[in-house]
Amino acid sequence: MYAIEVNGLSKNFKVKIKEKGFKGSLKSIIKPEYKTIRAVDNISFAVEEGEILAFIGPNGAGKSTTIKMLTGILYPQSGGVSVLGIDPTKKRKQLAYNIGTVFGQKEQLWTHLTPYDNFKFFGAIYDLSAKEVEFRIDELRTTFELDEFINIPVRNLSLGQRIRCEIVASLIHKPKVLFLDEPTIGLDPVVKENVRKLIKQMNKELNTTIFLTSHDIGDIEKLCKRIIIVNQGQIVLDDSMENIKYHYLNKKIVEIKLKEEVEWPVEEGITIIKSKGCNAKLEVDTTVKKISDAIKWIDADNIEDITISNVPLEKIITEIYKNVEMRT
Amino acid sequence: MRKYAVIYKATLMENMQYALNIALGFISYFMMIFVFINLWDYIYSDSSQLIAGYNKEQMIWYIIITEMIWFGTRSATITREVANDIKSGQIAYGINKPYHYTFYILAKYFGEISIRLILYISLAVIVGVSFVGGLSNFRILYLPAIIVVLILGIIINAILKLSISLISFWIEDSNPFQWLYDKLILVIGTIFPVEIFPRWAQPIIRCTPIYVVVYGPAKLIVDFSMEMFFRVLATQLIYLGIAIVIMLFLYKKGVKKVNVNGG
Repeated sequence: MYAIEVNGLSKNFKVKIKEKGFKGSLKSIIKPEYKTIRAVDNISFAVEEGEILAFIGPNGAGKSTTIKMLTGILYPQSGGVSVLGIDPTKKRKQLAYNIGTVFGQKEQLWTHLTPYDNFKFFGAIYDLSAKEVEFRIDELRTTFELDEFINIPVRNLSLGQRIRCEIVASLIHKPKVLFLDEPTIGLDPVVKENVRKLIKQMNKELNTTIFLTSHDIGDIEKLCKRIIIVNQGQIVLDDSMENIKYHYLNKKIVEIKLKEEVEWPVEEGITIIKSKGCNAKLEVDTTVKKISDAIKWIDADNIEDITISNVPLEKIITEIYKNVEMRT
Repeated sequence: MRKYAVIYKATLMENMQYALNIALGFISYFMMIFVFINLWDYIYSDSSQLIAGYNKEQMIWYIIITEMIWFGTRSATITREVANDIKSGQIAYGINKPYHYTFYILAKYFGEISIRLILYISLAVIVGVSFVGGLSNFRILYLPAIIVVLILGIIINAILKLSISLISFWIEDSNPFQWLYDKLILVIGTIFPVEIFPRWAQPIIRCTPIYVVVYGPAKLIVDFSMEMFFRVLATQLIYLGIAIVIMLFLYKKGVKKVNVNGG
C-alpha cells in the first residue's frame, strides 16, 4: 500500500518584479509587474508504506514546496496528492494527526519550556490523554537518550540536543509518515550519526514512512534505499540507491603510489585526475576499459600502494544536477 | 478546547517572567491619567456639574477604565506578528498542526495579556481611589455582570484586530488599517464617552465596535443599569458572532494564498 501518492502535481509562485532605482519603485506602485515561477512542474511518484525516501535536488529545485503541499501547508495549482489516503488540501487537520514534520531550519519547540513540558504540550495538541503522553515520553526519552537534558529549558540546549527534541516532539503522536526537511543541518558528525541511527531505528521498529530532503549525502547514503532527484521543479531521476550505484558507478577511482616515477599512459577510458611525482589519481571508465587492463602496464614491483574506489555518491549526484542543467 | 487551554497556559507561564517589563508600561498609563485628571478638573467648575450626563468623578473614572482596557490588552501577537508571519510565509509552520491557526493565536494572545490586564486593573483601582475616590454608584453586586461584558469586549476587540491582520494575505501591509481602527477606538470611546459627541453622530458610534469594546463596559462601571447591561450584552453577542464569521472567512480564503518560496 502506498503511504504517499502524487499525480501531476504543480505549483506556481507569483513574484513581484521591480526595476532598479527610485523610478522602478514608483513604477511598481502604479503598474506592478509580476513574474510566474513554476516551482513544481507536473511531478508524479508514490512512496510505499515503511519506505525511507530521499527527495533531493539543488537549491530552488522545488523540494520544500513539494513537502509543503504534501503536508497541506500549500495548495497545489493542479494535480492530486494523497497522504495515507487523505487529501491534504481538504482535510489538513485530519492529516496533521497522522503525520510528523521536522524542518531543520525552523523551530517548533517553545524555547522557554523544558523538553518535557514541550512534549506534554504537543501531546495535548494532538489530543493524547495525560497518561498516554507520559507513556510516550518514557518510551522516547530512552530511545533518544534525553534524560540528561529533559528538564532544561530548550533555549539552553545545544543544537544537537534541540534537534533530537524536535524529532521527539514530532513523534509524540506516533505519526505514520514523517517528513524530515534537512534534519541534520548544522550538526556535527557525531550528532548527525546519532540522529541517523535514531531515524533508522524508528523506521525499523514502527514501520514509519520517512520522506527526507537533505543536502547531506551521508543522510541519503546511510538512510535511504530510494532516491528521487528533482531539478527546476521536475523529477529527473527516480531510482533505487542500488540501481543508481550500479549505473553510475561504472567509473572507478584508482589512486596509485609508485616507488619510481613513470610516464602515465594516455589511453581511451583512462583520465588522469591528478599526478605529482610518483603519485597519481586516475579515473577509469569500466565500460571502455577493465580495471585490470588499466593497471596492467605498471610493474608490480614498482607499486608501493594502490587503492581502487567507487566515485563518491556526492559526485554522482552533482553530475546528475549538471547534466539536467546542461540539457535545459 | 483542551489544546487551546494548554496553549493559553504555556504562554501565561512564559509571560509571568516579564511581569517587571509590564510594570514599566505603568508610567505611560499614569501620565495619561494625570493629564486627564487635570483637564477635567479645569473643565468642571464644581464636582456636581454634569457634562454630557457625567459628573467629574464619573468622567475621570471613565477614562481610567477605558485606558486600562487600552493599555492592558495591547499586544503585537494579534497584529504585527500575524501580519509578518503571513508576509514572510512563517505562517506555514503554524498551520500544519491539528489546531485552528486563528484560535491558536487568540489563545496565545489571552495567555499574553492575562497577567498584564490583572496588573492594570489593580493599578486602575489604586489610581482611581487615590485621585478621585470611590465611585458612589458602584456596587459589588454589579461585578459579575461587568466582568462578563469586559471580557466579551476584549474578545471582540482581539478577533477584529486579528481579522484586520489577516488582510495581509491580500495586501502588502495591514498596519495602516490597524492604525485606523486603533485611532477610532482611542479617540471616539476611550478618551471621551460617546455622549460628548454631537447627537446625530451618537447612533452611528453606537453601531461601531467602540460601543461593545470600550464604551459599554466602562459606562456600566461608572453608571450601572440592568437595562444598559442587557443592551450591551446583546450587542456584544451579535458582534461576537459577526466577528468570528469574518475572521474564519478571511482565514479560509487567505490561507489558500500562502506563498512560501524555498526552505
